[in-house]
Amino acid sequence: MNPVVGVAAFVAVSLATAVIGFYGLRISRTTGDFYVASRTVRPWWNASAIGGEYLSAASFLGVAGLILLSGTDALWFPVGYTAGYLMLLLFVAAPLRRSGAYTIPDFTEARLDSRAVRRVTSFVVVVVGWLYIVPQLHGAALAIRITTGLPAWVGQAAVVAVVCVTVVSGGMRSITFVQAFQYWLKLTALAVPALFILFSLAGAGAPAAAGAAVNPTALAPAGPYQNISLLVALLFGTLGLPHVLVRFYTNPDGQSARRTTLIVLGLLSVFYLFPTAYGLIGRVFAPGLAKSGQADALVLLLPGRLVGGPAGDMLSALVVAGAFAAFLSTTSGLVVSLAGVISQDVLGGSVRGFRLAAVISAVVPLGIASMTDSTALAGSVGLVFAFTASTICPVLLLGIWWRGLTDAGAIAGMLTGAVLCGGSMLAGAVLGGAGTPPWLAQPAAWTVPAAFAVMVAVSRATRGRVPRTITRLMTRLHTPERPLATER
Amino acid sequence: MTRVRVTAPRGRPAGGAQAAGVTGHPPAGSVPAGGAAAGGAAAGSGAGLRTAVDAREAAEESDAGQVFVQALIRSQLRLGIVVAAGFLLILLAFALLLGVVPGLAELRIAGLPFDWVLLGAGIYPVIGLSAWLYVRTAARNESRYRDLAGDR
Repeated sequence: MNPVVGVAAFVAVSLATAVIGFYGLRISRTTGDFYVASRTVRPWWNASAIGGEYLSAASFLGVAGLILLSGTDALWFPVGYTAGYLMLLLFVAAPLRRSGAYTIPDFTEARLDSRAVRRVTSFVVVVVGWLYIVPQLHGAALAIRITTGLPAWVGQAAVVAVVCVTVVSGGMRSITFVQAFQYWLKLTALAVPALFILFSLAGAGAPAAAGAAVNPTALAPAGPYQNISLLVALLFGTLGLPHVLVRFYTNPDGQSARRTTLIVLGLLSVFYLFPTAYGLIGRVFAPGLAKSGQADALVLLLPGRLVGGPAGDMLSALVVAGAFAAFLSTTSGLVVSLAGVISQDVLGGSVRGFRLAAVISAVVPLGIASMTDSTALAGSVGLVFAFTASTICPVLLLGIWWRGLTDAGAIAGMLTGAVLCGGSMLAGAVLGGAGTPPWLAQPAAWTVPAAFAVMVAVSRATRGRVPRTITRLMTRLHTPERPLATER
Repeated sequence: MTRVRVTAPRGRPAGGAQAAGVTGHPPAGSVPAGGAAAGGAAAGSGAGLRTAVDAREAAEESDAGQVFVQALIRSQLRLGIVVAAGFLLILLAFALLLGVVPGLAELRIAGLPFDWVLLGAGIYPVIGLSAWLYVRTAARNESRYRDLAGDR
């Protein structure tokens, strides 16, 4: 691929992100009423922003790569990523909005009336955020290497630098507009080349997808345990992701939080059709990529291979731009959430503390990413979902729906989930891909129930610690907001 | 003319954060002023749920009010579980269908293998439909609660 294409695409996306960030900032200052403006973001904008932040390297590159490698088994990934939002809608969206909490630690502290719970939750949130940023940086390394031939660390450092500059300078203040733009950019960047490829294949009279069933690798199909465990992780992991909650905050009330989630589901469903299409086309026309260990680069390479010429270069630039939009949007969303948590809990909550925390939040995963190797992107993000599902998900679900949850139960359950799931991840990393038994490779199916069980059992044993404010809290979480006109 | 939603959350935005906001997401409604110094991102010490008590909530803590609240919580939880279970059953049925019926993988729809069409595209309408049903019914539960609790 022409190296200029890759660099130009990266620079263009970074500039667009910064410009929209600062432009949106000016709007929000001149309207004067910052708060009202941010709370009346329309559901469409808000949903696009949620989609923009959620669709990460794993969705943009990883899903197609995994489909190329393991075929229909990998189709559970996009299904799980989307259905996770269904679970979020069913059990979390409206009550969480009504809680008025801005971060997950805010919610758990208020719900359980305990600073200790806040600290444990903050710790888990930071671990989740860091683990989630690492695959984004691996994606950036891959994209820079494939498109420009530069060493991998350049891509990682470039993404971290752009994120740090925009977050620290306040350029992400109008984050809703930036993220909404990134969603539509990512969708365009996948859809336009995909349509071009389909037309050019149809024009060439290519055989219909007859080869789709051909397995390009010697990978054994995943057993039912692995598929179920993966689905548990994705379904219950989504509702605990730290950068998702913040976005619900810009909804004016619980019912509009539900409507926004409904639109998000539509946007995600449309988006995931395209990685699936790339995977299927890749299986038929580019199975060689799987053999050479470049499966995650499938989306980046396919337009150049199948279209070719200047048109191919243009399309390649578009997908590269979309890929960097994915790395930047997810990383900056995570860095902003993490910096909020770290500055509040460790650095005393000043603006300088926030800036310092933002740099820490971005640089630590850079260190981890440069020391580790990228495995399948979708797979490593799947493990992060397993971790959130075993730690944050139980405390959110039980906190919202069960009066009996206590601070001791929440802490015991979160730590149990963190130790079991984190231990499995470490053991899996030590044993390597082939030597890991399925129950360690996909731990969610047993770590999530274990975390729930410990949380319930310890809460039962410490019944006396149920906060006295529980009745008022539950009322507030679940009753509809009264129209402002009748209030006061 | 500022567009103000009539259903904005209770409580007042923390003062002074306009200038200090770092991320663009101010501590809203009930998050207390403590977050303002840190800017929007570091908002909230979490005390919002405890401090924001208004007359309405005090009234709902009465025994009669709580009966309605409990009923609302139960019906919303039941609704969530029913929709989730229904969706998971359909998902299971899809997986079993592909695993048990042998000829299906060979079947083609417009040249595409049936299992790819089913898993790669066919599930999304099911997700959307479940979500739409849920949003409608949850709103209906809430309006019934409003009627019962005389909250209009």
